[in-house]
Amino acid sequence: MLRVRFHGRGGQGIKTASQVLGTAAFLSGFQAQDFPLYGAERRGAPIVAFTRIDKEPILERGPVAFPDLILVGDETLLEDSQAAPACGADALTTLLVNSTKAPNSLKDKLNLLTMPVTCGLTKLCLKHLNAGMILSTALAAAAARLTGLIPLNHLLEAVEIELAEFSPEQLQKNLDLVREVFELLNPVVFQEREEAGLFPSKLMALEQQEVRDAAPLITATGNMNLRKTGNWRIHRPEIDYEECNHCMICYARCPEGVIKEDAEGKPEIDYDHCKGCMICAQECPKHAIKTLWEMDYEHQSQ
Amino acid sequence: MTTTAEHHKKIKDLHPQEGMAPGSPLCAGCGGLEGIRLALKELGDNVLVCNAAGCFTLLSVYPFTPFKGSWLYTTMAAPVPAAQGVRDALDIRRSHNRLANEDDFQVMVVAGDGSSADMGLSPTSAAIHRGLDFIYFCYDNEAYGNTGFQLSGTSPFGSATQTTPVTGEHPAGSEIRKKDLFEIWKAQNPPYIATVSPREPIDLSNKFARAKTMKGPRLFICLSPCPTGWGVDPKDSLLVAKLAVDTGIFPLKEYVDGQVIHNRIPRKRIPVEKYLEPQKRFHHLFVPKRQDDIIAKIQAGVDRYWERYE
Repeated sequence: MLRVRFHGRGGQGIKTASQVLGTAAFLSGFQAQDFPLYGAERRGAPIVAFTRIDKEPILERGPVAFPDLILVGDETLLEDSQAAPACGADALTTLLVNSTKAPNSLKDKLNLLTMPVTCGLTKLCLKHLNAGMILSTALAAAAARLTGLIPLNHLLEAVEIELAEFSPEQLQKNLDLVREVFELLNPVVFQEREEAGLFPSKLMALEQQEVRDAAPLITATGNMNLRKTGNWRIHRPEIDYEECNHCMICYARCPEGVIKEDAEGKPEIDYDHCKGCMICAQECPKHAIKTLWEMDYEHQSQ
Repeated sequence: MTTTAEHHKKIKDLHPQEGMAPGSPLCAGCGGLEGIRLALKELGDNVLVCNAAGCFTLLSVYPFTPFKGSWLYTTMAAPVPAAQGVRDALDIRRSHNRLANEDDFQVMVVAGDGSSADMGLSPTSAAIHRGLDFIYFCYDNEAYGNTGFQLSGTSPFGSATQTTPVTGEHPAGSEIRKKDLFEIWKAQNPPYIATVSPREPIDLSNKFARAKTMKGPRLFICLSPCPTGWGVDPKDSLLVAKLAVDTGIFPLKEYVDGQVIHNRIPRKRIPVEKYLEPQKRFHHLFVPKRQDDIIAKIQAGVDRYWERYE
């Protein structure tokens, strides 16, 4: 059995990626299972989805703890301890990261056991779909190709099935994208392994606790800023202080309250928490806030 | 006019302190978040929030809270009974001299439209009847947004939701009109009701400044554009809020001393389709074929409303 796990952010099409892969596997004569895992996740928040592929009926259920293949749609997730995309990866796991960075730099940085595969899917999505954040078909194509189990024609058919509601032009753009991603990558050899189950350790013994300890009480105030939401950004607002007239409209409009007035009365953006909604750029009367690609910005700063 | 001097006239009059810490997992571009942020800027730190289940469940995710004051989480139907409980507890402490007046809390219910207009309406009505001293902040995104955008009592006529999809038999999507929560509350004659828009920080702040000096049940209905559910780009979220006011779909008004006061009567209302067209939930009214009858019906509803005040 091949167990695949997709990581990305709400809105990037992670669930759809797992569905396209599942359908493509099914069309190629396999049994398949695909499902997302989400509770209260929303646009921008980390999302995970799974696909299982096997020749035999799949009786395994639940999230994939030890994947053969992990696909990370958003490289900013790699260092997110809550998303933990590399969790459960071992020497048999192949990890694909949507990144233009060198694989060995990621391997060292993240202490991975195997060399990751990197592929700049965002650029390809921009090229074909004119939208760098919609990764569903690109990720599915990458996964299908890496498995080496799915021929291109079944993959394209699966895309047509899963994107049935799309206009013919949109569908065609996705098919072109899938074709390019498929041809860009090479299959990986996977070794069969046993799933060790969702909880490899012993089940936790539950003990009676005092209500004070057991109830989710928070005694700190205003500590939410310990959570950094800056890595949600796909776009990055940047204030052009030459143009800015300090009207502070951006500060008033920011839903997160992350634009502050500095000592000189200028607005200043807290990039640790800015989610990149870009309301500030849209509402700025002087058009003094630029919209940059976060991806490009990271590269510039290196 | 009972409205007192306006505290805020320009952006720089807004209270500089933020009532909420950033970092919550709410969607980027959430209109409701901007609404409650501005509200708490005005109300200050001594606010005890009774939060009904909904999108704003995610305001506080254990072990983190954005609030300087207290936060109590309740089921969807029970934020108002919770507010009664904490208000009573605070009052008992005060009567025993165990809580100084300046340490008292403003009790504020924070609930979505599903809780406010559907599930929690009965205990709310009872609390208004009893004259419970609390502020009610309803972030109205016109559907059950947290669970994937299903129809609520306040979903507007002509909008597509998960439970009212557009079909051959139902080309309008939802065929029922939005419940008017303002009028429902007004029927019980509470001391204060207001509608607020996250795109109008001055108007919003002045309304909270007025309400915080009052006692008894006080309602705020905050139109909360939902990029995810309404199908708009997060950056356009507040633009849509502006269009809601400029088209007259969402009147900015107050109810004080038995009188409804409109804070802004749009002199020349722009056609409703300018508000509808950018939103995916109204997409079917324009593509593949314009449904002029439905658009006209929505426009007629707005025109009928304003005829009384123009």
